[in-house]
Amino acid sequence: MAANTDRDSELDRFLLKQRVERFLYEEASLLDRREQTEWLALLDEDIEYKAPLRVTREHVNDSFSRSAYYFDEDYGSLEARIQRFESEYAWSERPPSRTRRFVTNVRATERDDGAVDAESYLLLYYGQGDDSSYTFLAGRREDVLRPNGETFTIAKRHVFLDHAVPEIDKISVFL
Amino acid sequence: MPPTESKATAQQPDEHADLLAEIEASLGEGKLPLQTFNDETVHQLELDRLFGREWIFVGHESEIPEEGDYARRYIAGDPFIFVRDINGDVQVLFDSCRHRGAKLCRAEQGNTSHFRCPYHGWTYKNTGDLVGVPQKEVAFKNLDQSEHGLHSAPRVDSYAGLVFASLSDSGESLEEHLGEFTWYLDIQFKLPDGGMEVIGEPHRWVVETNWKTGADNFAGDSYHTGFAHHSIKQLGLGGDDTVGIAGAGETKDRHVHCDGHTTSTRMVEGEEVFMTYPDEIVDLFNPDNVTPDQYEAAKEALSFTGSVFPNLAFLNFGDITDDPNKDVTGFLGVRKWRPLGPNKTEIWSWAFAPKRASEETKERIYKVYMSNFGPSGNFEQDDVSIWNGITDVADSTFARHHEVDLNYQMGTEEMSEVAYDEEWPGPGTVYAINLEEVGMQKFHDQWFDHLSTPRDGETMSRDCGGGCGSAKADGCGSTRTDDCGSAHADDHDPATGSEPAGGGE
Ligand code: FES
Ligand SMILES: [Fe+2]
Repeated sequence: MAANTDRDSELDRFLLKQRVERFLYEEASLLDRREQTEWLALLDEDIEYKAPLRVTREHVNDSFSRSAYYFDEDYGSLEARIQRFESEYAWSERPPSRTRRFVTNVRATERDDGAVDAESYLLLYYGQGDDSSYTFLAGRREDVLRPNGETFTIAKRHVFLDHAVPEIDKISVFL
Repeated sequence: MPPTESKATAQQPDEHADLLAEIEASLGEGKLPLQTFNDETVHQLELDRLFGREWIFVGHESEIPEEGDYARRYIAGDPFIFVRDINGDVQVLFDSCRHRGAKLCRAEQGNTSHFRCPYHGWTYKNTGDLVGVPQKEVAFKNLDQSEHGLHSAPRVDSYAGLVFASLSDSGESLEEHLGEFTWYLDIQFKLPDGGMEVIGEPHRWVVETNWKTGADNFAGDSYHTGFAHHSIKQLGLGGDDTVGIAGAGETKDRHVHCDGHTTSTRMVEGEEVFMTYPDEIVDLFNPDNVTPDQYEAAKEALSFTGSVFPNLAFLNFGDITDDPNKDVTGFLGVRKWRPLGPNKTEIWSWAFAPKRASEETKERIYKVYMSNFGPSGNFEQDDVSIWNGITDVADSTFARHHEVDLNYQMGTEEMSEVAYDEEWPGPGTVYAINLEEVGMQKFHDQWFDHLSTPRDGETMSRDCGGGCGSAKADGCGSTRTDDCGSAHADDHDPATGSEPAGGGE
């Protein structure tokens, strides 16, 4: 009996992880295909989307600012950024960048309120234009996902970049 | 101590004479060779002769409010510890152990009473004094500890909480360097009761751009705003007068050149604008903190953008938001262009707010700052993308072989409709229009004065008969306008040989 319960909960966790992964892969694919308006539809209207600055401290390996950010967005400011990228004057994305988001190390836990805490690693290739240069951004993401039928919406995303000082001209992509 | 001393003297022509002569010829026409924006020789000269002696911004006192607070800072490539010591004094200490040179500061910032060297354990107080030498009685019994404190930057001084350091022990004081430009700095940094403070930590990111392109941009490039940042206007993120076409709006626009620094401002005459800060902030703006003229200027101002020679810039921007459906606000951003190579710059960007503002308002100001400036900023993204292209082509064979020059002639009498504002109460040469690039020429002239003056203080020998017979026309030529309407124009002339080693205003 005990063994079966273990197995059931293991299966539940597996299925949850499976569903979360499917969602995150689909999300990454939308962004890599530059379907940003469709991506926006995955976000809840009360989305909290933050990427704090990493601060190198002497004794702490993972320290992030509490008041300085690469992104500190709500639905309205994200929508504005997306609309801006559609302008022919949004020079940072002219020509549009080539991105590839590698999403791995997914861990998912169901919360009491039915939402899901999802953690993932992100490696993002960023290239642009006709020269050979490219760069990578790496980081860890903590999401809160809300179930929506078989899939999810994103209620919260905190992105913790690994870079102390990013070597990138601009961060004109969503993480 | 200056890290290096040039061997050049007045008798030995500068080894870079050809390059400098070419630059000088271009400057005389209101131009600048494209190659100067990506050239190893120029970069080395800048490190040695410009960043090696000029006053360079280090940080704001509010970043290290408590005793023992420190932050790692750089002057070009050189690491310093910006620290408030146990006596409450701000120090800028060279981050290198006096024993064998190891770096002491391992974090970007923190709080400490002592810095202990990881190599052999010499320990320094946060004043820089050497207080601990392991096995001293046996190993270093005659070492005079008082002679082995951490080196300080040769000169450190501050204005309105902005701390600067110079790698040269001589030269003009910070007060002389800033000159009357403090009139404009006061408006940005002294207006609110309680003063201004930095919010959080500065943005830092490394871009493939020459630092001078950023400096140029903030030395009066109102011309680019309406085009390069047109998307901001399209989206309604910035008002017509903030991001509209230069010279075409309803605002009263001015460019000011003052004692080697520049600012451009847009104002709405007769209105109370105060950079569209919320009432809570405007209530903190106290006329007693500045002069009546400064207060009036702040009141009508929609924006101030400016540049402090050589690599500090600021923008106090109004009528701007992160979302067209939210209220606009003003914000004060301060930035530093740190050269890492001829084609590499680390941009540092700080957000400021009045210290006494509510947390909620500070957050709002930060959010609007970050949405527009910093690596993800809707403005800044587009600037850097464009600037990189300049750096790319500056390294081209074509540019070198054909002496391709960039044009900075807008605002010269031959080129433009130029109008001056004689009524303006503040100091400097004041243009009643924001379509001019003479401010950038002024920047280049000072830059050139530094580059053509070896560090030992001797002016290179040059065929410059009559004091000003060369192609460079500043101070006696046709294309230039005097700075600040006073004696400064002559000081720019390297041919007089009168400039001190640390000079160069
Ligand atoms: S190098 Fe610092 S103690 Fe030896
Ligand atoms: Fe710009």
